[in-house]
Amino acid sequence: MLGWCATVRAIDVIAHPSVSISQLSLVQAKGLFSMRQTRWPDGQPARVFVLPDAHPIHKAFSKEILNLYPYQLRQTWDRQVYSGIGQAPVEVVSEEEMLKYVANTPGAIGYVRKVDPHDTTVRHIFVE
Amino acid sequence: MILLSATFSLNRQSLVKALVLPCLIQAGGAEALEIGEGIQLHGFLSQAAAVTDHNNVGGKSSQGVALNLREVGGNVSWRADPDWLVSAQVLARWAGGADDGDVRLDYGFVDRTLSSGEGRFGVQLGKIKNPYGLYNTTRDVAHTRPGILMPQSIYWDRIRDFVLAAPGISIYGDTSRAAYGIGWRVNALTPAADSREAEFITFLQERPGHFNGKTSWLGQVMFEFDNDRWRLAVSAGELAMRYKPDGISDWQAGSTYFRPRALSLECNGEEWSFTAEYSETGVRRRSYGFTVPDNTAQAYYIQATWRIKPQWQAYARYDVLYADKTDKRGERFFLNTGLPKHLVFSEDITLGLRHDLDSSWAFAMEIHHVMGAAWLPRTDNPGVPTKDWNLLLLQAAYRF
Repeated sequence: MLGWCATVRAIDVIAHPSVSISQLSLVQAKGLFSMRQTRWPDGQPARVFVLPDAHPIHKAFSKEILNLYPYQLRQTWDRQVYSGIGQAPVEVVSEEEMLKYVANTPGAIGYVRKVDPHDTTVRHIFVE
Repeated sequence: MILLSATFSLNRQSLVKALVLPCLIQAGGAEALEIGEGIQLHGFLSQAAAVTDHNNVGGKSSQGVALNLREVGGNVSWRADPDWLVSAQVLARWAGGADDGDVRLDYGFVDRTLSSGEGRFGVQLGKIKNPYGLYNTTRDVAHTRPGILMPQSIYWDRIRDFVLAAPGISIYGDTSRAAYGIGWRVNALTPAADSREAEFITFLQERPGHFNGKTSWLGQVMFEFDNDRWRLAVSAGELAMRYKPDGISDWQAGSTYFRPRALSLECNGEEWSFTAEYSETGVRRRSYGFTVPDNTAQAYYIQATWRIKPQWQAYARYDVLYADKTDKRGERFFLNTGLPKHLVFSEDITLGLRHDLDSSWAFAMEIHHVMGAAWLPRTDNPGVPTKDWNLLLLQAAYRF
């Protein structure tokens, strides 16, 4: 039971339903969320949505899914944005907005707390 | 210092959304705006204040509060396609007598990703930021700096324009695996060299004539381990500039070559980060009508940063610069020139505190106790600088 609990994550990575991928490796997920990778593994252009650094869901996502501290992600984005070698992710203010934008933006990737597995407006992405 | 940043995307659909949606979504954190996709616009503005007991930083700081420490900039980037990126940033910077707020193109280039996936490879063409150490590419953006003042040993403001960015070509790549990541970059460039500080560094005083950059290169390899907890970078290159005398000068035409080598290590924990960088920069001067011995500058710093709370961090740094590693105390320099020994070394102990009010605003305060004047800009200190001095800096930074 404890082992099962330890593997359950409080955060779901979600994508636009047009995304054909249902699973990402940790390296692939980090590549997308760090904005170094601009395409999904199948070649589709990716569009990254995040919550504010101080948002509890962002903190949980950074640590539990990416195994990074939020400040590390911020430093990575800042280094790219202010040297011109990359762009910043789109920041949304709430979980509701995250769901709305990911559901309506082709190629979108984001994250929310556990959502209904039968919700077909977004695709669930398993990060291993 | 203050930083402003905004992100906009422009297309017809987005403009419609912008008109009908009272709340626009954000990009890049803070208050930045994103109203579509493809084009992002960021800007920044910063202000610091300096007070010293001796010597001057950012103006006449020894006689009052010096406020000539300011940065204003903005950048635009257009990702026309996942493999194409066009970026440019303009910057105006005030730094005492060394920088007077002239608006300049900080960078401006086209980036083409030639292969992507778990291994990426690409090329950039234009005016490009130089890879050097951990912070060179974003040193003018207060939120990205490890303190108000960059560690002057490695990131010598006196030669910043020479090292910062230059027209040229860059090739880069990175590879990520579960256990590590490797990134690399090599720039071929012609550095900016026409500054008064270049003359002070070569001749120890201003001379008639001017410097021009020659073809140069800089490269960096970055290793990341344990989910980026550890970052290790090796930077190296050769930066060259040519001197052309004007009118009557007792110096003839010549060239100065800098060969920087830097080793950088960063360890990131949840509450603590430790950073150490070490560099040796060979300086060779050729021709000039005189024989000037080669020398190697040695520099290092170690910094500990403690994130006390999510919005508060305290840091301590020990920063050392020797203009000639074989003459650390300036004995030979004094015998050869008659000038004070402390012009060739600096040891700086810094304590600082930073508060991030939110993701837009950051306030910082730091105190420096400095022994020596090797990195002190001569433009603000025309006389003989005092050997032991103290510096208090305050900074407000904003970005959206």
